[in-house]
Amino acid sequence: MSDQGAMRDHWYPVGMTKQLTAGGRDTLLMGEPIRVYLDNGAPAVSDGTGRSLPVIDRFGHVWTSLGAPNRDLFTIPEADQPGRRLVDVGVCRVRCSPLRAVENFLDIAHFPFVHTDILGSEPHTEVQRYEVEIREDVDEVWATKVKFYQPQAAKSAEGGITTDYMYRVCAPTCSVLYKTCPPKPGEWDVIALFVQPLTETLCEVWPWMALYDDAAEMTDLIHFQQMIFVQDRSVLENQLPALLPLDPGMEIPTRADMTSIAYRRWLKRHGFTYGAQLVAA
Amino acid sequence: MIFYDYILSPSCYRVRLFAAVIGRRLDLRAVDFHPGQEHRSDAMLALNPAGTLPVLKDDGIVLTESTAILTYLAAHDAPAWLGDDTPVMRARVAQWLAFAQRLTDSAGAARAHDMLLAPGDIDALRAEATTALRELEAALSAARRRGESFLAGNRPTIADIACFPHVALAPDGGLPLDPYPSIRLWMRALRGLEGFIEMPGIHRLHELLPEPGPMPDVIRKERA
Amino acid sequence: MTTDWTPAALSRDIPAASAAPGQLGETDLAIWRSASGRIAAWSDRCPHRGMRLSHGFVRGERLSCIYHGWGYGEGGQCVRIPAHPELTPPEAIKVPVFAAAEASGVVWVADGTPAGAPPEFPGFEGFRSLRIHAPATVLARAFGGAGHVIEGTLGPCAVVALIQPLPGNVSALHLLAPEGAGPATLDALSLAAEALRRTAEAQAEQAEEETA
Repeated sequence: MSDQGAMRDHWYPVGMTKQLTAGGRDTLLMGEPIRVYLDNGAPAVSDGTGRSLPVIDRFGHVWTSLGAPNRDLFTIPEADQPGRRLVDVGVCRVRCSPLRAVENFLDIAHFPFVHTDILGSEPHTEVQRYEVEIREDVDEVWATKVKFYQPQAAKSAEGGITTDYMYRVCAPTCSVLYKTCPPKPGEWDVIALFVQPLTETLCEVWPWMALYDDAAEMTDLIHFQQMIFVQDRSVLENQLPALLPLDPGMEIPTRADMTSIAYRRWLKRHGFTYGAQLVAA
Repeated sequence: MIFYDYILSPSCYRVRLFAAVIGRRLDLRAVDFHPGQEHRSDAMLALNPAGTLPVLKDDGIVLTESTAILTYLAAHDAPAWLGDDTPVMRARVAQWLAFAQRLTDSAGAARAHDMLLAPGDIDALRAEATTALRELEAALSAARRRGESFLAGNRPTIADIACFPHVALAPDGGLPLDPYPSIRLWMRALRGLEGFIEMPGIHRLHELLPEPGPMPDVIRKERA
Repeated sequence: MTTDWTPAALSRDIPAASAAPGQLGETDLAIWRSASGRIAAWSDRCPHRGMRLSHGFVRGERLSCIYHGWGYGEGGQCVRIPAHPELTPPEAIKVPVFAAAEASGVVWVADGTPAGAPPEFPGFEGFRSLRIHAPATVLARAFGGAGHVIEGTLGPCAVVALIQPLPGNVSALHLLAPEGAGPATLDALSLAAEALRRTAEAQAEQAEEETA
């Protein structure tokens, strides 16, 4: 079995709370079989030996850990603001490293080519300088002052706008982005990517959103995000090597990739290497 | 025309794509197929007892098979897409419309299994899909020998539209298209159609756009 | 790896301004043809984020990656990074390039510089490439020959069979047919090639069962 390393003691999404049944869902977490089910109406998770695993029910999803997490699952304070609509987007399985899935989520430069005429379009391809830091107090990667020109930034957007973004990596396989909220200037829409690592090269991705949007149908909001994510899927399944290379010589970043550089550095520093490749094969 | 749609469904995309290519406006109703299972709701089952998507509703008619919807739209707005009325072309269109169902049941089911965790015997599905893809490759290579780019002749028909989505999305179900050069060229011809729209998993032909300038290599040459 | 030429595709299957995946031994290739008709075989991996370049797009004399649009020109040199339109990409950003040449309607590739030009087969032209789930040796035997270049008869006519071993006990069969063969002959040849595939795959399956 691959080395789960320091990632073993973290929380991972393993199912949508609303979809749980007493019969349960058999799945994998970092190579180990687990069952996610309802036990007397409450979410429960057990491993292959029947051992009960810790459970948190938050952001519409069930979270668990194979190890002993020494801290609570991260929070998204904005999600508690009144008036937001919470959107469970549903699962999508991808044959890729869970870390590559997160890195792609942090990237804006691909918008014109992969999300053409929605999140980006030629010739508006330039990525302006933005700020990246590892916030030591919360131990999270943050990118701020990210700006990008978008033809249709959200379901609620009409026409092109320059969209502001902030990105946050709050767990090895989870990221939250904040972006301009067209119906409510001054507030941020929240879009999260929760990634369940099944193996080092297979993951299930659970996007989740907390939006200010009173106009759109819930189904349209779900489909917009499914469309965006599945556009990424064909890229994620065709990156070589499948594992995320942490050896800086393997892939060449530019200034537009500062968030990814910080993410890779943060992974390496913590030994979060399940789904990563430390040295070139 | 009201069209009950799911953005990730290749069968729904057949209809969206065809409508876009012939310039037919559809009144789209998004159905929460995944994760909501809305296609199995009472309202949707009343419309389509089979519980499948897509569904098209128009003046007194409800159609629940995507190939029938293509036939209806073509007859309504763009009859040239039905093929001409020679016995060979007419039969070829019918043949490939039926073949499209084999793709749905094999490559489509493999994709639903691999991507949305639908149940299925994945090895058997991929084997059936490979048989179908080989058959398509052989037919398209024969078409090329006749100087034709499409399934039923030298112009696209609803048969091409019906087969295209599940073929183009086959890699989603663990079926690489590397072994099929004629399929690749046929997909390219379809992606180049006027009015073509993509769906998630199918990229548009970025080569149809000019490279935005100024180009650094041109500048460099000028400097040299 | 050998510096001999390996047949990797048929010229007719890679028209101008298009790219296709290919293989050289264990190495994944992007084989592409520029708008002006130049053929090239590169590593199928964008140096930026490892995306397969064979999924990319060709504009003019460049191949661009579908992920971030990085454009590569002659010699695999990166010439454009759309995220930084004003930047001249550093010389170091380069896709590894392999030798590529065309002869008798076949695209041949090699690692390094082969001693001579790829072989010509006068009177023959590219017909079909088929993927076969059988090792090259089994395929050659099913054809009634040995080695990777077999001149013989298949179905209705004389053919040249170029057998390319691929990873995972798979082979590609690049088939050359007589120039000017009529449609009926070629249709029959196509059927014969598929029959050969069935035979080779059945034999490979049987051999696998016997070892198991």
